[in-house]
Amino acid sequence: MPFGLRQLDFDWKLPTAALLLSICGILLIFSAQYYNDDANAHGLYLRQLFWLIGALGTFWVIISLPPRFFDFFAYIFYAVMVLLLAAVLVIGSTRMGASRWFVLGPLSFQPSEFAKLAVLLALARFFAYTKLPPASKRRLALSFIMIIIPAALILKQPDLGTSLVYFVILFSLWYFSGIRPLYLLLIISPILSLVAAFHWLAWTIYLILLLAVLFLGRPGLLFSVVVTVVNLGFGMLTPLVWNHLADYQKMRILIFLDPGQDPQRAGYQIIQSIISIGSGGLFGKGFLGGSQTRLEYLPARHTDFIFCVMGEEIGFIGGAVIILLFGYIIFRGLKIASKCRAHFLATISWGAVTIIFFQMVVNIGMALGLMPVTGLPLPFVSYGGTSLVFFWILIGLMVIAERHWQEH
Amino acid sequence: MAYSGFDIQQRYRYGILLCGLALGLMLLRMLYLQTIRHEDLYAQSESNRLRVQPVIPMRGLIFDRDRRLLVENRASYSLSVIPAEISRTHVLSRLATALQMDENEIKQRMAKNLAGRFQPALIKRDIGFDRIAVFEEQSELFPGTIYSKDQVREYHEGLGEECLTGYVGEVSPDEMKKLDPSIYRPGTMIGKAGVEKYYDRELRGIDGTEYVEVTASGQLLGAMDNAAQIPAVPGNDLILTIDNDIQKAASEVFGDFCCGAAVVMDPRNGEILALVSKPPNDANVFSSVMTNDLWQSILTDPNNPLLNRPVDGLYPPGSTYKLVMAGAALETGTIDRTTMFSSCNGGYRFGNRVFHCWEKRGHGRLTVVNAIEQSCDVFFYQLGLRLGLEEYTKFSRACGFGQRTGIDLSQEAAGLIPSTAWYNRKLGKSGWTQAVLLNLAIGQGEVLVTPLQLAQFYCGIANNGRVFRPHLLRSIIGPDGRETSKGGELAFTLPFSKETLQILREGAYSVVQGPSGTAHGARIPGTTVAGKTGTAQNPHGQDHSWFVGYAPADNPEILACVIVENAGHGSTYAAPAVRNIIKAYLNKHHLPGADTTAVAGVVP
Repeated sequence: MPFGLRQLDFDWKLPTAALLLSICGILLIFSAQYYNDDANAHGLYLRQLFWLIGALGTFWVIISLPPRFFDFFAYIFYAVMVLLLAAVLVIGSTRMGASRWFVLGPLSFQPSEFAKLAVLLALARFFAYTKLPPASKRRLALSFIMIIIPAALILKQPDLGTSLVYFVILFSLWYFSGIRPLYLLLIISPILSLVAAFHWLAWTIYLILLLAVLFLGRPGLLFSVVVTVVNLGFGMLTPLVWNHLADYQKMRILIFLDPGQDPQRAGYQIIQSIISIGSGGLFGKGFLGGSQTRLEYLPARHTDFIFCVMGEEIGFIGGAVIILLFGYIIFRGLKIASKCRAHFLATISWGAVTIIFFQMVVNIGMALGLMPVTGLPLPFVSYGGTSLVFFWILIGLMVIAERHWQEH
Repeated sequence: MAYSGFDIQQRYRYGILLCGLALGLMLLRMLYLQTIRHEDLYAQSESNRLRVQPVIPMRGLIFDRDRRLLVENRASYSLSVIPAEISRTHVLSRLATALQMDENEIKQRMAKNLAGRFQPALIKRDIGFDRIAVFEEQSELFPGTIYSKDQVREYHEGLGEECLTGYVGEVSPDEMKKLDPSIYRPGTMIGKAGVEKYYDRELRGIDGTEYVEVTASGQLLGAMDNAAQIPAVPGNDLILTIDNDIQKAASEVFGDFCCGAAVVMDPRNGEILALVSKPPNDANVFSSVMTNDLWQSILTDPNNPLLNRPVDGLYPPGSTYKLVMAGAALETGTIDRTTMFSSCNGGYRFGNRVFHCWEKRGHGRLTVVNAIEQSCDVFFYQLGLRLGLEEYTKFSRACGFGQRTGIDLSQEAAGLIPSTAWYNRKLGKSGWTQAVLLNLAIGQGEVLVTPLQLAQFYCGIANNGRVFRPHLLRSIIGPDGRETSKGGELAFTLPFSKETLQILREGAYSVVQGPSGTAHGARIPGTTVAGKTGTAQNPHGQDHSWFVGYAPADNPEILACVIVENAGHGSTYAAPAVRNIIKAYLNKHHLPGADTTAVAGVVP
């Protein structure tokens, strides 16, 4: 096939699903700010439309590039993004107590979004080419170092939600690159211990379960001892960690565990979110007809809580369409990862799905009252240009991987 | 193959399983909310509305050192409207009539205190119960209006305390830009001056939150049952160092004179016992609803009542400054205890100009102690010329002049100590001569000090050179009753040796107790008073009268600094004024041997 047309040679179904989600997003942003007197807020949907055009252009560029380009630039891109993350802490603009943005004239840009991409590319390259066996300590340690640097910088912004994404990517790619699930479980067991230690009874039960797993799974004596000791240590650290969390983080956890106890307005957000979705019913109140939306009861309704606008105005039908579109993208991405014959591209595809899945579950789960409030945007749908461009790049990478499809 | 453990298809199947479960769970949860709970949640969204209202905490009280109330709160009502609901209905004109306000005024108030279209915006505060009763009875005529219990600050009148308590007012949009929006809402009351401003965060407490349900037409249904209320945390109470008895005495010493200032301090720890600014303002007027006419009349008052004279008023120190000069000369070795300059004949010739002494008949030849006692200008002219401008500037600054004292008030003047650089900038390099020193040496000319700076300097003289930072806060009492005391803080030490301080104190002692002293009017039988008179030249009229005095002279416990504007020589008016203040202190504390009979009036 002539080089100039290679970008046309792909399956249109995946980008179409992403495009439908993006268009839903623009319509929902339009509705969310329709009754706002502020002309700027009213016009947010237009800005999102321009961003979508930009995102589609970026997508086109990405799928025109040869796969070698990404594995050549992976580490360089990673280094640049780490520097930018450090820079944004120093010179970035501060909004609502967080310094996450670079401001260039009318545009503002969050490097943490693209740092996700850099980490994904760098990890994929590392896992695809390393000769180290999957469970080797050096392999685990090196990949852990690769994510802990940007994660720590983002945690400092402070943005707990986004830095959590990095750990999820790493964990998911460990799994994809062939570590036994038992090992993975044991590796994250200290965090479970940390959570369980909020109550002594839960912690005791957890420790008994852990010992049972170690006894039955037989991962090796030294490993078992280390895991047990680390678990005990983390459990005892809980009060310390708790005292180190910022007040708003404590509040979010407390409200999630017990929404009735409502020391600040975060509980109000969850209550209003559930009222919005529930009041929509099966078919919704009609586009632009949501009273919760119109009356400004919904906080952050064009960003973090955009799913509620869909739930209220289009009802279950609308919400289900969004979830099913995500479902298609996720299942397709997993399929690509399992069939792609280039290991590097397969790993990228798996990681891309991980990010999309995790952000979607956290965001929609929050709107439905299933997850604590974290402030992660809904991929493709929430207002925010950097995020939109980033997710379209992920779609582009999945399309490239799709070209290397191979039936076994 | 790099893959090991288990194969790729198995991983893919687990992935599908996990994602499928998560998506299914979300769909089920959504279905549950939108079918089974739909009716209930739909009702909540339509007929009921949840509104978040702030609960205003009780602002902290302010007490004097003997726990007598200086500032308290009076219950009142305030009225707010929900902008979105007012614009839809036409209650604006009805509201205007009921509140006796202009419709435009209401709109302006709405715009100023707008926090959100569905958040109450404050329209009028301090409404009496009789008028609120009208709203209560006819609430259906006024949809979208809310009244709430409120509080109005009440201040003592007539003791000149506004200059330290300050007052409160609605936060202005400009102030809002600089404040933390999580603590300060538009329309909230905030300290605008004095202690109210400086300790606003202590006094204001923490706003609570209550969720209330209102009907579609905006009528209040009451508190939401299932959403917990967050109670407001009352503000901390402040115990000031002020002694109301002394404050009362100090506010009464000005007699018929319109303007002046008094600072009364404990030199041992920097506590301010009284702070008076004449003419006083009524803080109650500022804290309630100020009419435009009244504001205009205050602004245009020639006596400038808005100037907080003890900390923000600037005056030449006059002869009170001679102690700084004498100290600097003694320290630099320019003079010693026995040095005498050429005799005072009532004037001093410098170049082709004669600088007069206040005593036309002349003082003859004097040592430094006697020169202080009789406040001889000619002695200090010669001392100043020998000391030089560099040393003058250096020692003045080291004595705390030309810079803020750091008192716990938000507005304080720094004063002015001229220097070579200052004269060069102001008059040009060749535009001035050493002749400026003659004026500076007797505290006239370009130098400007605040009464507080002067009091602070004399506290240092009284307290063996150790200067404690002037402060108004004695302790803070939290809502739980726990009291935190604030002690005195050593600000700096005067740049004088023990011997120099001894000489200066001898001088100050003889000003009042000496045979030829200028301030016999400050004498109190039974104790010894020391101090210094001063006359600040005033190009616009009668000179201002200064006196700074402390007692007992050998072991000072109280110091008072008084300036009476347009009262002439320091000895004639300010010295007896200080005597009355010190007397009030001695009466109260029953010092052994002190004359405890009341002093009737002021001897001019």
